[in-house]
Amino acid sequence: MSLPNPFPLNNGKKATCREMLQVILDDEASTEQREYFKAHMEFCMPCFKDYELNFAIKQLLQAKCNSVAPDGLKEQIRNRIAQII
Amino acid sequence: MEEVVRQHYADHEKQEIFDKEFLPHIHSMYNFGYRLTLDRDDAKDLVQDTYFKAYRFIESFQKGTNAKAWLFRILKNSFINDYRKKVKEPNKVDYQEVESYYNSDDVDRQITPDLRVEALRDMIGDEISNALNALDVDFRTVIILCDLEGFKYEEMAKILDIPIGTVRSRLHRARQLLKERLSEYARSMGYKNT
Ligand SMILES: [Zn+2]
Repeated sequence: MSLPNPFPLNNGKKATCREMLQVILDDEASTEQREYFKAHMEFCMPCFKDYELNFAIKQLLQAKCNSVAPDGLKEQIRNRIAQII
Repeated sequence: MEEVVRQHYADHEKQEIFDKEFLPHIHSMYNFGYRLTLDRDDAKDLVQDTYFKAYRFIESFQKGTNAKAWLFRILKNSFINDYRKKVKEPNKVDYQEVESYYNSDDVDRQITPDLRVEALRDMIGDEISNALNALDVDFRTVIILCDLEGFKYEEMAKILDIPIGTVRSRLHRARQLLKERLSEYARSMGYKNT
C-alpha cells in the first residue's frame, strides 16, 4: 500500500526527507502531508529519530521559554495612552 | 506590501480595539521583547513603546484582522530602530550560502549525531532558554515566531519583511544551531556520543 506523495516537487525532484520534515516541523503541512509523513516514518528510521528529537525540542521550548508580562505593565501602558487622548 | 487602507474610528472604538484585540497579546509581546533584547527592563520599555505606537497608528489597523502579527511587526521594527543599535551587532550571515550548503540530508544528519531525546528530558533548568538566547537574534526570532507563537510562513514573512523562502531557510538553520547548542549541554551533562 503506498499513498501518493502529497509534497510538492522541488526542481522536478520529489521532496527529500529533510524537506518533508521541515514542512511538518514548521507546522505548514496539510492533513494529507501529515498522514503521508507518518507512514513514511514507519520505515524511515532517520526521519523517525529526527522528528522525535525536534518535536521534543519544540515541547521543551514551549514549556520553558515563555514569560509573563510583569504586573502593572498593562496599567503603565494605559496611563501613557491616557496622556495623549 | 499591501496598501494600508486608513480606517476611521471613534474614540470608544479605538479603546475597544485596544482592549479587546491588542492588550490580550501582552504576554506574547513581552516574551518576544525579552527574547530580542535579553533584558527584562528593555523588554518592558519596548512593549510599552510598541503599544503606544499601536494606539497612535490604530487607524492603519483594520478591525478584526490579525492584530497579533500587526503588533509583532511594530515591536520588531521598534527593536531594530531603537534597540539594536545599542546592542553589539553580531556577524551577518549569508543565508543564500547557508541554504545551498544545507540543502542536503547528509549534512544535517552529520551535525548532531549525539543529541538524544533522553538528554532533553534531563534539561529541566534554564538549558533550553540559555541555548535559545545564545543564538544570533535573527535565528532566535524565527524560532520564537514559529515554535512559541505558532505563526505561519506567510505571517512571519510579513512581520520580518523577508521572503517566505528566507523564512524557511532561516528556520532550518536556526533549528540546526539550537540542536548544536543543546548537544553541547548534553555532552557537559555526561551524555556520550552514540
Ligand atoms: Zn525519511
